[in-house]
Amino acid sequence: MDYQKADDETLLQLIAQAQENALGEMYNRYGRLVFSMALNAVGDPSTAEEITQDVYLRIWHKAETYRAEQGKVITWIASIARYRSIDVLRRQSVRPEGNRAPWAEEELELPDPLDIEDEVEASQRRHQIRSALNQLPEEQRQALALAYLQGYTHTEIAELLGEPLGTVKTRIRLAMQKLRQMLHAGTIPNGEI
Amino acid sequence: MLVDEHVLDLIPAYALGILDDADARRVSVHLDACASCRTELRAYSEVVDALPLAVTEFEPPGHLKESILRQARLSKAAEPAPQPGWWQMLKKSLSLNAPAWGMVGLALVLLLGASNLFLWQRLDRVEMSYQQMADQYLNTLRTVPLEGTEFTPDATGLLVISLDGEHGTLVVDRLPVLDETQQYQLWLTKDGERTSGGVFSVDEGGYGAKWIGSPEPLASYRSFGVTIEPAGGSPGPTGEKVLGGDL
Repeated sequence: MDYQKADDETLLQLIAQAQENALGEMYNRYGRLVFSMALNAVGDPSTAEEITQDVYLRIWHKAETYRAEQGKVITWIASIARYRSIDVLRRQSVRPEGNRAPWAEEELELPDPLDIEDEVEASQRRHQIRSALNQLPEEQRQALALAYLQGYTHTEIAELLGEPLGTVKTRIRLAMQKLRQMLHAGTIPNGEI
Repeated sequence: MLVDEHVLDLIPAYALGILDDADARRVSVHLDACASCRTELRAYSEVVDALPLAVTEFEPPGHLKESILRQARLSKAAEPAPQPGWWQMLKKSLSLNAPAWGMVGLALVLLLGASNLFLWQRLDRVEMSYQQMADQYLNTLRTVPLEGTEFTPDATGLLVISLDGEHGTLVVDRLPVLDETQQYQLWLTKDGERTSGGVFSVDEGGYGAKWIGSPEPLASYRSFGVTIEPAGGSPGPTGEKVLGGDL
């Protein structure tokens, strides 16, 4: 079985059958993403490592609970990683460093057309969302990062940033509205796709 | 708050899961009745789904993959061997006492026939009342009372599940205060499989509250339990059970 050629859903089915190589391939695809989400949330590499391990053990034991109609495999995995990271962050009651830049600045190279379909699509979406985020004002990017990666509420973000609650609400709402518009319109600055 | 007041300004934050409980409930109630706002939510959910792809990437440690695979291997090896089901046990018993079971079987068939007749007569009435209950049920917050165990007879808890069944809030009281090396961990059970609902601690009075998110809708789980685990939680329950309840 060539696991590298299997699509994500097939890999999950193989993981549900306790095929360790399938879990290894799933790590090759999304281990970096999970580790990065965790590290951006908690700010500590060893905690991010524990979270990544926990996320993959959940995938190993719960692969059969994935339902394709609820979203793509990458969305499912990212959701597990996000909630686990927020959970750990709240348990620790420690605010991570504020200087980290959670959103990627760099533009990515376009995928090799020989890559499997899931990877090509993910690369295109990655390019789109990064380009869209790069167009947002810094204060909106910052508020969105605190909300998405660290799960802070409006009130908590207002306290963290020392800004009025209404300002924070507006920043997050505007950021989401702009991202929605840009993703929906497929707006790619310096359009390459 | 009237249901027909749109909640468009709140939907982006709702999709991010960062609204406080009162606003989240308000949006949830409105979404149940408003197709156009549900369409808005889907659009913002797509944005949220794309956000993981935009985080700054870091290279995980080289040993992490092997560590994960080793733990996966060990955890599967540690799972208990499947027990024979009731059908296998019955078959085995029948094969040892075949003649005597013939008469018993005939009596059972007659008994089942009579009880079926009785059940059919009641079915219509039951179906009607079930439908009424279901209608009422779907429009009410579901709650799961959690009771203490022999270990914690005074402890009590309540799990409140959101209207859409997706998430909930756990409130506990009179639980023993643990030292810093331990925490309470909530377990969600479905089809015999346990999933962690997160870890939490309690204050000096034994009171604690926690927002509960889960990989699948919270209302899809049948049983809920709380155990004492090492700080940070365990992949599976290992410590004393202190609370339990069923949906």
